[in-house]
Amino acid sequence: MDSELLEQVVNNLKEINAKLDQLILQAEFKEDHVGEKNKIIADSLDVITLLSLADHLRTTATTLFEIGPATADEIASVTNKERAVESNYLNQLVRMNHVKKYRDGRKVYFRINDSLRKK
Amino acid sequence: MNFNNYQIYKNQIIIDEGNMTLTLAIHSSKGGTGKTSIALNLAVAFALEGKDTCLIDLDLRGPSLSSIFETKTHFWINDFLSGKCSLKDTMNDFQKDIGTDGHIYVSFANPDIKAIRELVSKDRNWQAGALKALMNGKKELAENNMDIIIFDTSPGVEYESINAVAASDMVIIVHNDTNACSNCTEQLIKGVYTLLDKKCAIVDNMHHGNCLDIIEKKRYGAPILATIPCMCEIATRSANEILVRSDPEHLFSKSITAIKDKIIEMQ
Repeated sequence: MDSELLEQVVNNLKEINAKLDQLILQAEFKEDHVGEKNKIIADSLDVITLLSLADHLRTTATTLFEIGPATADEIASVTNKERAVESNYLNQLVRMNHVKKYRDGRKVYFRINDSLRKK
Repeated sequence: MNFNNYQIYKNQIIIDEGNMTLTLAIHSSKGGTGKTSIALNLAVAFALEGKDTCLIDLDLRGPSLSSIFETKTHFWINDFLSGKCSLKDTMNDFQKDIGTDGHIYVSFANPDIKAIRELVSKDRNWQAGALKALMNGKKELAENNMDIIIFDTSPGVEYESINAVAASDMVIIVHNDTNACSNCTEQLIKGVYTLLDKKCAIVDNMHHGNCLDIIEKKRYGAPILATIPCMCEIATRSANEILVRSDPEHLFSKSITAIKDKIIEMQ
């Protein structure tokens, strides 16, 4: 009788252990998912985020919003800064995920990151 | 911003020097300042002069233009901002109804309470997309030779109104003579419009003092375009009339015309 009871207790413990493992896995998955969602929100360049950018980055980002996909040279012509300076600012915005960079032929273009827009 | 080199860009907003589209955002720090009356009459004033004008109701949380006009299209500006249609799909032409020389297109915000409730749950992603849509819509209108675009906005700092400010060339701040309004207006100019590099101008509306004694020409660095006295009949008559069309000699209509002329001068 005692050994039967003991076996039952051990089996129950094993079951609880397995359920705990499952719960831990589910919790980890949710954390990643939420983290990713937060990341998406942080990267979208909405107007309030635009307002909170440093002056030089905001001017560059606003220009990009206004004129659409452009090269660093084209942006620099509007902002009246050196091409190399704008290239630096644009790359900063790329690292912040607010701007995307792509090649078209021999030129490098920048555009506002809108790949995360949900319909 | 330097507009002189625009012609070198891929996405030209200015086709030639004589064809620049001017985009105005009519905004205020507080509600009930008279934005919609001013936006509507200003839009019609431009159209009466032969300018093709598009008036867009971006006060998505408190839409008012749909109670003044009868909508003809099936799409709301909300649909456009959500990427469900083009801007053209939302535009209703009231040139014949009002009797203007230029086209007067109006885009409406959905007045249904369900649509307004839905807005409250829109996240930053949606707002970012809405700003992009607005910028693209502006380009679409410019390419189709629209002369004037006017955004009627919701008051204060809301995503929809700041999106409108960001997409505009110039902000017309409708101001009422109260301490609360003055403090908030000053904050808006310093903390939003200037940061977004927008030209601003103030319209003092519903003024209670003697308008003839006004000598103040600038406030918080922005020029004052007009001081309109408080006239209750504007509210009552606006239910059935567009004053600048039905009564051009009215003081309100003359103020609107003066504002229109000063805006053109400033460009």
